Amino acid sequence: MSVVPMTTTPIEIEPPVSLWRDAWHRLRRNKLAVFGLIIVIVLAFTALFGPYLTPYDFLSQDLNGRNLAPSLSHLFGTDDLGRDVFSRVVYGTRTAFLVAIVVTFIAVLIGVTLGALAGFFGGFLDKAVMWLTDMTMSIPNLLLVVVINASLKSPISSWMEARYLATLNPFYRETIWVDFLLVFGSMALISWPPYARLVRAQVLSIRSRPYITAAQALGLTNRIILMRYVVPNALGPLIVAVSAGLGTAMVLESAFSFLGVGVNPPTPSWGNMISDGLRVWQHYPHLLAAPAAVLGLASVAFSFLGDGLNDALNPRGAK
Amino acid sequence: MMMANDIRPVPSAASERLLDVKGLTIEIETRNGPATIVDGIDLHVGKGETLGIVGESGCGKSLTMLSMMRLLPNKIRVTKGEANFAGRDLQKMSNSELRKVRGGDVGFIFQDPMTSLNPVMRIGQQLAEPLIYHRGMSKAEARKRAGELLKLVGIPGAEDRLDAYPHELSGGMRQRVMIAIGLACNPQLLIADEPTTALDVTIQAQIVDLVKDLRDKLGMSVVWITHDLALIAGLVDRINVLYAGTVVEDAPVDALFSNPSHPYTQGLLASIPKLSDERSARLSSIGGTPPEPGRRPKGCPFAPRCPLAEAVCHERVPSLEGIGQNGAHRVACFVAQRKLEAA
Amino acid sequence: MLRYITTRFVVWIPSVLLVMLGVYALAYYGAGDPIKLIFLRAPGDVAYNPERIEAIRESAGLNRPFLVQFCSYIWNLLHGNFGNSLSSGRSVWAMISAAAPVSFKLALCSVILTAVVAIPLGLIAALNQNTRTDYAILGSALFLWAIPAYVAGPMLMVLLIMVLPGSAVPYGWGGVFDVRILLPLLVLSFQPIALIVRQTRAAVIEVLSEDFVRTARAKGVPETMVALRHILRPVLTPVVTQLGLIMITIVNGAIFVELVFGLPGLGRLTVQALTNTDYPVILAITLIGSFLVMISNLLVDVLYPLLDPRANDTRRSR
Ligand SMILES: Nc1ncnc2c1ncn2[C@@H]1O[C@H](COP(=O)(O)OP(=O)(O)OP(=O)(O)O)[C@@H](O)[C@H]1O
Ligand SMILES: [Mg+2]
Repeated sequence: MSVVPMTTTPIEIEPPVSLWRDAWHRLRRNKLAVFGLIIVIVLAFTALFGPYLTPYDFLSQDLNGRNLAPSLSHLFGTDDLGRDVFSRVVYGTRTAFLVAIVVTFIAVLIGVTLGALAGFFGGFLDKAVMWLTDMTMSIPNLLLVVVINASLKSPISSWMEARYLATLNPFYRETIWVDFLLVFGSMALISWPPYARLVRAQVLSIRSRPYITAAQALGLTNRIILMRYVVPNALGPLIVAVSAGLGTAMVLESAFSFLGVGVNPPTPSWGNMISDGLRVWQHYPHLLAAPAAVLGLASVAFSFLGDGLNDALNPRGAK
Repeated sequence: MMMANDIRPVPSAASERLLDVKGLTIEIETRNGPATIVDGIDLHVGKGETLGIVGESGCGKSLTMLSMMRLLPNKIRVTKGEANFAGRDLQKMSNSELRKVRGGDVGFIFQDPMTSLNPVMRIGQQLAEPLIYHRGMSKAEARKRAGELLKLVGIPGAEDRLDAYPHELSGGMRQRVMIAIGLACNPQLLIADEPTTALDVTIQAQIVDLVKDLRDKLGMSVVWITHDLALIAGLVDRINVLYAGTVVEDAPVDALFSNPSHPYTQGLLASIPKLSDERSARLSSIGGTPPEPGRRPKGCPFAPRCPLAEAVCHERVPSLEGIGQNGAHRVACFVAQRKLEAA
Repeated sequence: MLRYITTRFVVWIPSVLLVMLGVYALAYYGAGDPIKLIFLRAPGDVAYNPERIEAIRESAGLNRPFLVQFCSYIWNLLHGNFGNSLSSGRSVWAMISAAAPVSFKLALCSVILTAVVAIPLGLIAALNQNTRTDYAILGSALFLWAIPAYVAGPMLMVLLIMVLPGSAVPYGWGGVFDVRILLPLLVLSFQPIALIVRQTRAAVIEVLSEDFVRTARAKGVPETMVALRHILRPVLTPVVTQLGLIMITIVNGAIFVELVFGLPGLGRLTVQALTNTDYPVILAITLIGSFLVMISNLLVDVLYPLLDPRANDTRRSR
């Protein structure tokens, strides 16, 4: 059978270039979104280069200068071990971004794969994926992740310790990676459902259009259909979801660290700094206020940006 | 074709004006600034008179009616003109005065019965609202009267339907409910915006007859908007032809059918199929499209599509001038006006 | 309707069993030996004694295979036996019934506060769409949404102490009618309020452009009645559907709020149980949390047809 060339006029479904330009214009007019964007850029810059620019090392202790109030030499003061709070907050930014980006990446990967599979193949697979999605979303997810983190951390650490004692391989001493891996894994485990739903809905809506049936009849592979039709359409909503997801992941990381099941001291994380600050806030409010304010700022910035992107990319629902 | 009814005395053009719209201008906010949709429209309806309004889709019929009652959506505004009802300008009334007119003295029947009824409220409650707010009835009284109204508009099993939700009724029944709501307080003026468009032909005729009966019984004035000139020929006393937000011809119904003077009216009438036409005869249609809001031509708005347009038509806007019937037949067209002078 | 509720319940059971199995597996394989914890509490010599450990293991039934243990745990659950806490030895049921009322009262107050504050605010924002009022309400909602409870809580405490230097720190629980509930309640409600404000606003804006609102005005219905009867009624439907999401937000938020403000509720119990890897308690709390969310989703489904008469028909035909 000879392959019939596709002669049907392609119906315009790929967002035209002007849509992106329009979206950018709308975004720029939204003051809150611009504010969010600027803060996010500043924070990202801080995460990348901040630790090299701070005057103090985030670990170096100065036992003569403990619990100092904010001053010019220590912008946010020092903590109970005499460590510079500013440097720790800056390093915490790196932790937050690292976790947020990796977690969102894994979650998008899982979500997009499952959602696309469910949408394309339907039937039992679809039912199973949807059931999994609903279940994940209907459990107080924070609880679940905290449980997973708490129970896996100590066995893995002790296993690593045993391996180190047995092999003396320095790799097994770096337990900080265990923290990160657990945080990444467990957070991604609860973060994927929105992406799966979004992609599934997109695939379904596009599959039901007549020209896709035509394209399938013409022998286009699912992969080509996916790349040519589904991806461009899902991109806008996905960008919105990711920008909101980054903020959520950042907050989740600090929540775990706050509860003591996330990133462990001495690695600075906004969450464990807040948790430490909470114990002494009546005497040294700056220890609490500095990380809390920065976390709040970051979260608000992502939320403003996500909302602005939503309005900009979905003009129909715009205010 | 049926002519204006002969039982009822035709209200004379000189009779007192119940509704008098003067120079009403409606603008919409767009990206490129405000654009005019309705351009200084003049309309009037006498006491007990029935006025038909016809015109292409999008020419501003609905907006004109809505703007009189100050029911326009957010981005659309009245910028000039007045709308007098019983001698008082609706545009300048306070909100509470206006509220008394809405639904009380002026009944409204909206274009789309599918979306114009509240989907989460029972029919009986929706019917009772005007009675409660204008007649001060108790809930029980209003319910009783609502049942009577449903019977009046010919809904079978009226009392049982009071507790129905709109989605449980057919399109025709919903339209009747809308009519019942419009008539609830025996208004002096009923504004019916294409009340039959969504219905099949037999029901259309039933509804026209219904409104006619009620009008004769209650002696109210009616403004009936439609695309279907043939349908309302037996109902209305006078017809206004709208084009791009202005009245281009105003004539007693007989005169309009016997002597259509504006080229646009002639086009409209020519596009109605007649029984006498040969089967193979093609319906004529008017070429081109009406101007978009914000891109109105400098002269007569119809000039770009007009087969008779002359140089002057592209330069100046013609005003409505009497051409017959003692000034009751008026037309806004230089060519038609000149023809009359020549005769 | 009853059949519908039963179906929902039956569908919920396998998913919650799966979660419990997961948590139980984590406890069994991950948490390390619970015997050590029991052993530390045992009277008499605390010296390392393999025989005694074996004996305890035997008596607690902890030497049986994983699935047997899990099934027997579920079996006990069905008989209302939640087991005993590993760290304190107290009955888990007793611990939970002491803590749950605190959390439930707080959650209930939070739902009420959310409804009372957020729905009117959303309505006001929508009725003043694109004005300063709207932007102020919407901006605040976005702001509140983004601030985690463990940031808002401490910050408000710092603020309170700075503004009213003499006032006592709002720490601890004194019941619903104690002033100390105000701050935790507020913090717990921030996110739900933000959620509902935005939801209401969007729904009202959609309804405002509906033709039936215009019909109501054309009937001469007073503006306040238009807002209450014609706009708010249809809006409640999509808002009520968010109840499940609100429950999750509140359950999650309660963990932090109770910790920050020292409330003896389920949230604090959770954190304590986590610190002590006290699995019987964690399992019970997971069960309760999931049950709560399921119930609130069920409630939404039961309420929905009451709010939207159109839903009745589609459900029956489904
Ligand atoms: N809500 C709105 N937003 C923007 N433009 C509108 C809106 N409502 C009406 N218009 C525009 O105003 C013009 C007049 O509309 P109107 O509804 O009065 O037309 P009409 O004569 O009633 O047409 P139809 O016979 O189809 O009902 C149209 O060009 C329409 O596009
Ligand atoms: Mg119309």
